[in-house]
Amino acid sequence: MSEKKKWFTLDFGFNKENATTTTSGCGCGNTSGGCNSHKPAPIEPPVATSCGCGSTTGSCSSHNTPPPKNEYTITADEFDAAVEDTMVGETQKDGFQQVFDVKMDRRTAFRKLTASLLIGAGAVQTSCSAIAGEETKEKAQIDWEEQFKGNYKLMTQEERDATVKRLVRSYQLRKKENISMSATDASEDVLFGYAFNISKCQGYMNCVSACVEENNQDRNSQMQYIRIHEMKDGEGFKFNEADDNYYHEVPAEGHFYMGTQCFHCDDPPCVNVCPVEATWREKDGLVVIDYDWCIGCRYCMAACPYDGRRFNWSKPEVPQAEVNKNQHYLGNRMRKKGVMEKCTFCIQRSRSGKDPACVEACPTGARIFGNLLDPESTIRWVLENKKVFRLKEDLGTEPKFWYFMD
Amino acid sequence: MKTLRAFGSMVKDSLGYITHGSKTYHIWMIFLTAIMLIGMYCYSIQLEEGLSATGMTDRVSWGLYISNFTFLVGVAAAAVMLVMPTYVLHDIDFKQAVLIGEGLAVAALLMCLAFVIADMGGPSVLWHMIPGIGVFNFPNSMLAWDVIVLNGYLFINITIPLYILFRHYQGKDANPKVYIPGSILSVLWAVGIHLVTAFLYEGLQARPFWNNALLGPRFLASAFAAGPALIILVLAIIKRFSDFKIPDTTIKKIAMIVVVAAQINLIMLFSELFKEFYAPTHHSESAYYLFFGLEGKTALLPWIWTAIPMNILATILLTFHKLRNNPKVLYFCCVLLFVAIWIEKGFGLIVPGFIPGPYGKIAEYTPTGIEIGVTLGIWAMGAFIFTMLAKTSIGIELGKLRYKKGKK
Amino acid sequence: MSTQKLILSLVILSFLCSCKHKEGEYHSLKEKIEHEGNKYHDTGISSEAYIGDIKTIQITEGDHTFLIPERKSQIQSYACNECHSKPLAAMQHSSIAKKAHWNIKLMHANENAMNCATCHDGSDMNQLHSLTNKPVDFNKSYQLCSQCHSIQFENWKGGAHGKNIGGWAKPRAAMTCVNCHNPHQPQIASKWPVRFNTEKVKERK
Repeated sequence: MSEKKKWFTLDFGFNKENATTTTSGCGCGNTSGGCNSHKPAPIEPPVATSCGCGSTTGSCSSHNTPPPKNEYTITADEFDAAVEDTMVGETQKDGFQQVFDVKMDRRTAFRKLTASLLIGAGAVQTSCSAIAGEETKEKAQIDWEEQFKGNYKLMTQEERDATVKRLVRSYQLRKKENISMSATDASEDVLFGYAFNISKCQGYMNCVSACVEENNQDRNSQMQYIRIHEMKDGEGFKFNEADDNYYHEVPAEGHFYMGTQCFHCDDPPCVNVCPVEATWREKDGLVVIDYDWCIGCRYCMAACPYDGRRFNWSKPEVPQAEVNKNQHYLGNRMRKKGVMEKCTFCIQRSRSGKDPACVEACPTGARIFGNLLDPESTIRWVLENKKVFRLKEDLGTEPKFWYFMD
Repeated sequence: MKTLRAFGSMVKDSLGYITHGSKTYHIWMIFLTAIMLIGMYCYSIQLEEGLSATGMTDRVSWGLYISNFTFLVGVAAAAVMLVMPTYVLHDIDFKQAVLIGEGLAVAALLMCLAFVIADMGGPSVLWHMIPGIGVFNFPNSMLAWDVIVLNGYLFINITIPLYILFRHYQGKDANPKVYIPGSILSVLWAVGIHLVTAFLYEGLQARPFWNNALLGPRFLASAFAAGPALIILVLAIIKRFSDFKIPDTTIKKIAMIVVVAAQINLIMLFSELFKEFYAPTHHSESAYYLFFGLEGKTALLPWIWTAIPMNILATILLTFHKLRNNPKVLYFCCVLLFVAIWIEKGFGLIVPGFIPGPYGKIAEYTPTGIEIGVTLGIWAMGAFIFTMLAKTSIGIELGKLRYKKGKK
Repeated sequence: MSTQKLILSLVILSFLCSCKHKEGEYHSLKEKIEHEGNKYHDTGISSEAYIGDIKTIQITEGDHTFLIPERKSQIQSYACNECHSKPLAAMQHSSIAKKAHWNIKLMHANENAMNCATCHDGSDMNQLHSLTNKPVDFNKSYQLCSQCHSIQFENWKGGAHGKNIGGWAKPRAAMTCVNCHNPHQPQIASKWPVRFNTEKVKERK
């Protein structure tokens, strides 16, 4: 490549193009291979631009492996030289010429680019461990596979296990902590149902708190699946006049309280409208979302008559100490920005026989949860012996969430 | 091989043709590029921050983007009103206008797709929607239908004019046996895209404001008013800035379409208002919010009360032949109609659908600067694409662009 | 024109296919629950682990058999006869009588209806007794409550009143009356909600 100076000047356009392609190629490779070596371990998870990710691994392995040490270890001398080169160049030349209008082969160009990138980033650390590089590669590998995995609903058992394993490993790599994630399937002869006693609820909102903590909901936007509506006695259900964000001593005189959340409809409109089948009704009646398959179109949100769905308008944040580490793939695992989420009747608990967090937290016993198919279950007793009703029954959505009074 | 070479030459020629032009043309294109760049910058912010950069919330979860999308589907569908008489009924009058109309449809469709993508929370996983690679909830989801019909319509509207222009470029006549079936298909398809888009909203039992049988027909009527109104304006501009001859009769005929559609649209509007306000039920609250405001929340009032008088005024003015035949009045009315329907079918349709929320809660929606920036950027992109398409097709139709057989 | 017909029929066909209700499903959820409930087999899921450290006893009332927390070990000063070594009547006149249980104030119904002796057995303080003077064990104090609160009792047995413990699966465990209601002041006090959503306020301003 090293020719007369003229060559560079003449073919400047071409060279520029060539150079830029290399830049993007190695730039990316850099983020994974080179750069990491300079930035120590916990790097923010790469922003999910697919191609960025793609080329990261792709060109990383192909570009970086043959000359193994070269990009990693720029000696101080080389580095200084590169800096000097650019400095000197600056006085006479401009733009790309600074970098390219020098006699050099591709390797040197590569190295200089790296150097200037480093200057830009200001993250110069020559000491780097090989392990960090390995981990970054693994992270990139995981991100790549996660980006292009299929819809959970259609995965084979092996694929499901693989993605769960990847997610656990990914969390371990990023946060240095272990989580346990299950992918328990629906059991035969189970259909979950819920009953809410409006004469018992006192509006303490313990359920809301428990739900937020259990399900790792975004703390910044104060997302909450459950809403408790404070209604005036003797006025019927006037949701528009009810207050669902009160803060005074409860129960307030002359009021009653009514909780809403996802009702896990048996004929859920949200499932019908999803263009990519990212949400579906499980065999045990739970309406769940594959967060990684959701494209964030929010059609389900528009279709839900019960305000049961929530959207991550920005990146959800949970302080690391508060993360609930008992997770389920379809339940409370960490979400990302731009996807839907919703109540799953705490699938990570209910599938293994435990009550959802809201039921457990309710100090009044107003919340009743159980298996609708079990004739001896308490929920069945409530349905058969109390005067139960559901909200907006006329819409034909068949919610599995009943209200009753003493 | 020969065809391929001719095609290559056409692409090359058109590229050359669209990069050259008058000073006004260049200023116009630079202006559009600048706005597009601003839009892209805004979009990059939105990508970084998430959709929280927009004014949308859990309460009003669709806003400016989807409003514009809905409106533009109508504009795209309206191209059919010109296709039908030209290709199928052999009405020569429209032949000049139809290529412009289809170019408009293509631009509008690309804008639609851009708006949908801008509205997505996860544009990086958009491939989940591609049939074959992704999972497509067909036929259950109306959005899946919409994706199919929109892309199909885009394909039809690219291929037919492309075929015709390509023949003309070679100095040949287009073979009616090739393009007439396509035209018929596109006629049906245009009605389809608009109905399907209406069904997108109409099928939601959760939103009484949309869940009403008149929505589909009203979509069509308003589309066939706003779309051709835009075409008239565009034709007027083309007439002013190029040598392309558009006979007055063409514009008059399109104006006729606009009038009829606008009248039907008004009738439907009155029918809707009657239903909502004669015997108001709980389900009329959204309409109340739109027209009168609810609980002191009145963000949409200025919009809708601008749109309705504009709509009525334009329709009445256009109804009189004398006024309609006066170009100044006609163009004025077209602007009025276009803006009125943009408000009515964009903002005025999407936002009140979400207000009040399922439990009667009201959170108003105001688009943020970022959102407006992206929206303007997409509109600029549409105008940019349309300008290029129109310039090329005018060039070919005027014979400025011709295949030179000797040239390699 | 045949193309048109073909397309039209295709469109109609695809609409028919898109009918949302799948064949063979039930008309209503109730029907489904009843029908599939008839074929119910035990799921094999157990909630036993989630009862945790709570010591329970099994009770059977009517058709219902379930676990309730054991009570006696939870009462601070049980057994009562460690102090109440003699019948109450005898102790009241004794010289060593202290003013005991000063912190208990009875606010249950009114004085006409209830006093300490309505439930406590003056002759055997380790026991409670019913209105008709039949002994009732401290662990089964719900039998006392149910004398008046018969509707609540029915609801409790069925599962509509009283908090469930642990999980929804078998074995069923539920709180008993005195786990939530202080028998001397059964009214539950009011308190402040545990959270307030400031973002909601912003959204709706």
